Amino acid sequence: MSNSAIIKIENLTKTFKHADEPAVNGVSFTINRDEIFGLLGPNGAGKTTTISILCGLFPATSGQVTIDGKSLGTQLNTIKPIIGIVPQDIALYPTLTARENLTFYGSMYGLYGKDLKDKIEIWLEKLGLKDSAKRQVSTYSGGMKRRVNLIAGVLHNPKILFLDEPTVGVDVQSRNVIIEHLKEINAAGTTIIYTSHHMEEAEHFCTRVSIIDHGKILTQGTPSELIENNNGAVTLENVFLNLTNRKLRD
Amino acid sequence: MLNKLLATVKKEILLLLRDKVGLSVLFIMPVALILVMTLIQDSAFKTINEKGIPIVFVNDDNDSLGYQIREGLLSNELCYLSDSIDGKPATAVLAQKAVSEGKFLVGIVIPKGATASIRKNVSTLVDETLNGADSLHKQQDSVEITILIDPVAKKSFLNAVTSNLREFISEVKTKIMFQAFSEQIAEVIPDKENPPKNSYQKSQIIRYKEIYASTATDQIVPNAVQHNVPAWTIFAMFFIAIPLSNSILKEKTEGSVFRLHTMPTPYLLLVNGKIIVYLMVCLIQFMMMLAVGKYLLPTMGLPALVLGNSMMGIFILTLATSFAATGFGVMVGTLATTDHQAAIMGSLSILLLSALGGIWVPSYVMPEVMRNISSFSPLNWSLEGFYKLFLRGGGVADILTDASKLMGFFFLMMAISYLVNHKKRNI
Repeated sequence: MSNSAIIKIENLTKTFKHADEPAVNGVSFTINRDEIFGLLGPNGAGKTTTISILCGLFPATSGQVTIDGKSLGTQLNTIKPIIGIVPQDIALYPTLTARENLTFYGSMYGLYGKDLKDKIEIWLEKLGLKDSAKRQVSTYSGGMKRRVNLIAGVLHNPKILFLDEPTVGVDVQSRNVIIEHLKEINAAGTTIIYTSHHMEEAEHFCTRVSIIDHGKILTQGTPSELIENNNGAVTLENVFLNLTNRKLRD
Repeated sequence: MLNKLLATVKKEILLLLRDKVGLSVLFIMPVALILVMTLIQDSAFKTINEKGIPIVFVNDDNDSLGYQIREGLLSNELCYLSDSIDGKPATAVLAQKAVSEGKFLVGIVIPKGATASIRKNVSTLVDETLNGADSLHKQQDSVEITILIDPVAKKSFLNAVTSNLREFISEVKTKIMFQAFSEQIAEVIPDKENPPKNSYQKSQIIRYKEIYASTATDQIVPNAVQHNVPAWTIFAMFFIAIPLSNSILKEKTEGSVFRLHTMPTPYLLLVNGKIIVYLMVCLIQFMMMLAVGKYLLPTMGLPALVLGNSMMGIFILTLATSFAATGFGVMVGTLATTDHQAAIMGSLSILLLSALGGIWVPSYVMPEVMRNISSFSPLNWSLEGFYKLFLRGGGVADILTDASKLMGFFFLMMAISYLVNHKKRNI
């Protein structure tokens, strides 16, 4: 694994219009090439906002972001082709089949012809969707939709993959398949930035994590470092609850 | 880039084909609309044309004036004349009651002694003219013909009917006056070799020839089909704004837009894919409507649609209308944040623009203020253009201004959509 930073974030701040407090408040961290970086936090902590900024969905209020040596503010168009995103919501067309969805999204990343077809078939096979690829996505189970959602984000072999709660609401079998293949993608050279509420999954999946709350990074390190450095914690969940407290969030 | 555009077009076509309800709205609704509206309007005119306007006629005169008006009205196809009410001979009182009850649209009462009165008046006038008598001292009896009108009937329609009746009655009166004059003169200055021939009874001093001022080589007759087919086709084409805006909103609500905005594909290309598909839908809709007008309506006893002289003009105007309609749909889809908003915003604005544009009521019958506002409706530009082609026999040059306005509207809609979309993302 290379240790060079692929994403550098300095003093990133995002204050939405009409909001009293910033959603992301002066966040700084780096993500190294080929690592699986977990951005963990309770609801409203600023995870999705941070990922959305990194994907170029909306601009930051202030701060600097460099992705693969390019400035996010000025070179977004050259960054977009090297990133992939698996959003929290199923971003698929329900009335299209899995194959049709993947053909469309693959084309939007510049894939076409045999290359696109081959990639789609390989991924459908890998994630156990080959037999149902002709069915409309609306007829799929939650786990199947999640798997197609994942394929749509990785078809073009991105350098960086953003995963926003990729296993939320799926059964254990689908989760295992998804996690296994994400590890495979990472091993092939894709840096993964991952958000989740599922602490056990994050503990085993991520090589490094940041815990974020109220728009600020609370701590950062490998899961084992965080557990070691947190008094009385035996799991990442303990660390998480100690840092973000047990108060219910909206 | 072309591959991306083709993929977007293919995706839009698939989405549209899988939306059965949307498809039926796009194709079946406009056909139904044209059929219903044209049949209703045509049959309304046909009923009157075939049977005639029901008129009750009371002839208390029983002389030349009464007889000639009766004969004239009986021979007129527009009138269905009756001189009895429920089997009883019509009287002024019964006629008024029957008209007020809606049994007849119009009643005509020729008073007793009307002809005699005309003759007497003419005689007095002849005396005055020939003998220099002082007319100021002699009061003439004027003949009063009563026209009874059904209060429920539409004023504009009745105005047309009564105006025609008045014109006809006045013509008969004039002829009787001429006859009386001629007889009086013959008495005063007898000419045994050339007695009065009464040839004016059959003559018509002024005749009217009505020609539709169309430059079309084949005579285009304005009728319900010529008016309704373009009007409702334009209405249907603009209704595309609803499925198109829904398609944009679905991408927002179903989350696809999140992924699409992070992809190396410009927003404009994604929108262009939609525009291309919905333009095709508009063109298919238009061809379907023309086919309905030309081939289906005649099988229902309606006249066939006459397309005029300029196929190129029709193509240019249809394309410009399609662009305007899709641009409007993109703007509605961009402005709205929910399906409901898009449906309400889209349908109400189209109804409003179509009402202003002269789809429901011709703009020339609107008050001046509304007529001025009407000239800002893209549906009005399109409708005026099609009337130029279908009714006035115009060509490409005649519709270029309308087509340019429609294209201008499309670019305006796209600019607004782009700015709104940019502003929405800049949260």
